[in-house]
Amino acid sequence: MASTQVLTPTSVEELVTALGQATPRTRLLAGGTDLVRAIRRPGGEPDLLVDLTGVTELASVRLQGGSLRVGALATFTKLQWDPLVREHALCLSLAAAQVGSAQIRNAGTIGGNIANASPCADGATALTALGAEVTTVDGAGATQTRPIGDVLLGPNRTGLRHDEAIIEFTFPALGAAHRSAFAKIGSRTAVSVARLSAALVVRFDAPSGAITDVRAALGAVGAVAFRAPELERALEGRLADEKSARIFAEGCVAAVRKSIPGRYSLPYKQHAAVGIAYDAWNMLALSAPFEPAWD
Amino acid sequence: MQLLLTVNGMVHEVEARPTARLLDVLRDQLGLTGTKEGCAEGECGACTVIVDGKAVNSCVMLAVQARGKNILTVEGLAPDGELDLLQQKFVEYGAVQCGYCTPGMLMSAKALLMGNPVPSEQDIRIALAGNLCRCTGYSAIVAAVKAASGQEAVPLMELPGDAEELAAEVTTDPETLAAACEVAQADAGGPLGAPCDSDGPPPASEPEGGE
Repeated sequence: MASTQVLTPTSVEELVTALGQATPRTRLLAGGTDLVRAIRRPGGEPDLLVDLTGVTELASVRLQGGSLRVGALATFTKLQWDPLVREHALCLSLAAAQVGSAQIRNAGTIGGNIANASPCADGATALTALGAEVTTVDGAGATQTRPIGDVLLGPNRTGLRHDEAIIEFTFPALGAAHRSAFAKIGSRTAVSVARLSAALVVRFDAPSGAITDVRAALGAVGAVAFRAPELERALEGRLADEKSARIFAEGCVAAVRKSIPGRYSLPYKQHAAVGIAYDAWNMLALSAPFEPAWD
Repeated sequence: MQLLLTVNGMVHEVEARPTARLLDVLRDQLGLTGTKEGCAEGECGACTVIVDGKAVNSCVMLAVQARGKNILTVEGLAPDGELDLLQQKFVEYGAVQCGYCTPGMLMSAKALLMGNPVPSEQDIRIALAGNLCRCTGYSAIVAAVKAASGQEAVPLMELPGDAEELAAEVTTDPETLAAACEVAQADAGGPLGAPCDSDGPPPASEPEGGE
């Protein structure tokens, strides 16, 4: 069997040239935390491996015209601590902080998290709530920007072509009036794959106590992370009170039921959704913390 | 493919398979077998090394990705044979049992201390969360890292002072299995439940009350 060829571009220009050689058996390597395992499985060896980690210009986070632009190669450690992310997309920072272990966060990238398309990807839940768009470049040098929902199609399945690499995520930067949160539950408290995750973004009008621009996303419950529009509408314009917290929790449970009807994990996840909802809600710090009323 | 790797301050030129992991090159080509392979999927941390100041799992990083970077392995903690303070504290606090996780633990702790010289216990536990240890129960390891950062740490137990003193307490040194069984039986004050010769297990006893 022919040995894998490795290309190591150091700029987007060189990346385009490398992508020009890509075939359906080509793999794009970012942090490697998922891919290195995959290519070591029998039959997993690619014909061409394009190591993206040398394209350091894709590892930055910038604020531009009200948008936050997150480079695909930004690691979770970077996203956890980056001042712009913490100020304008706190839920993404919180999600990054809960990915795997320190070693995984130091290597794993947000671009890899999305391209790998695990239904449990913490980054996917946060970026979905933030309304992120994904910008790619292909082997012909063409860039394309589309909603993250058009990229995440199913478990380990994306809308990306084999010669197309994610270079950036863009979304409206959250302003001072916005609050955002991320909560997840796994099989243990740390270094755990999410069994359910939630990201919540609201705009809080302090004088009136009302929340608007509500965006709620759930992950690890169904094939891809998704927004819950009914839940968002139910909360839109409401006071940030205990009743709203309960509406949020009930909405999360309803969204879980709708997403995985009859699935063996439903009894667990619809119960877990209550706790996740209250965790996320309390993280917004809009009022005194609420405790779920377990039935 | 030809790779230039800076490991523990020395530049190495290696000819590596394109898909060789950093772990493979360190162990098999550079002979740095202090770095261990555990799960080989980024869960257990036994293969942790420090790349450009950050702890990473060398089992899920390809060697090609470490080109031109500064790699620190456990061997680099004691380049002249003298243990790093962190290693000394691991010894002092009994933070090593079987030892397989130890190189990875050391490197995760070292990376933490490089960026955060006086970490809280929470910081330490987060930094070590990706390193599994099935022996120690972690407490001695956390105490050792605390101590290495100059903070007060409570040892789990007093370690035996003098190994020779302990050895002097050993009064019998049987040379055959039969002799060992005699010693053990004498110690137990009665027959042992397991066979005492090489003829296999004793016949199963009749269940009481028959049937």
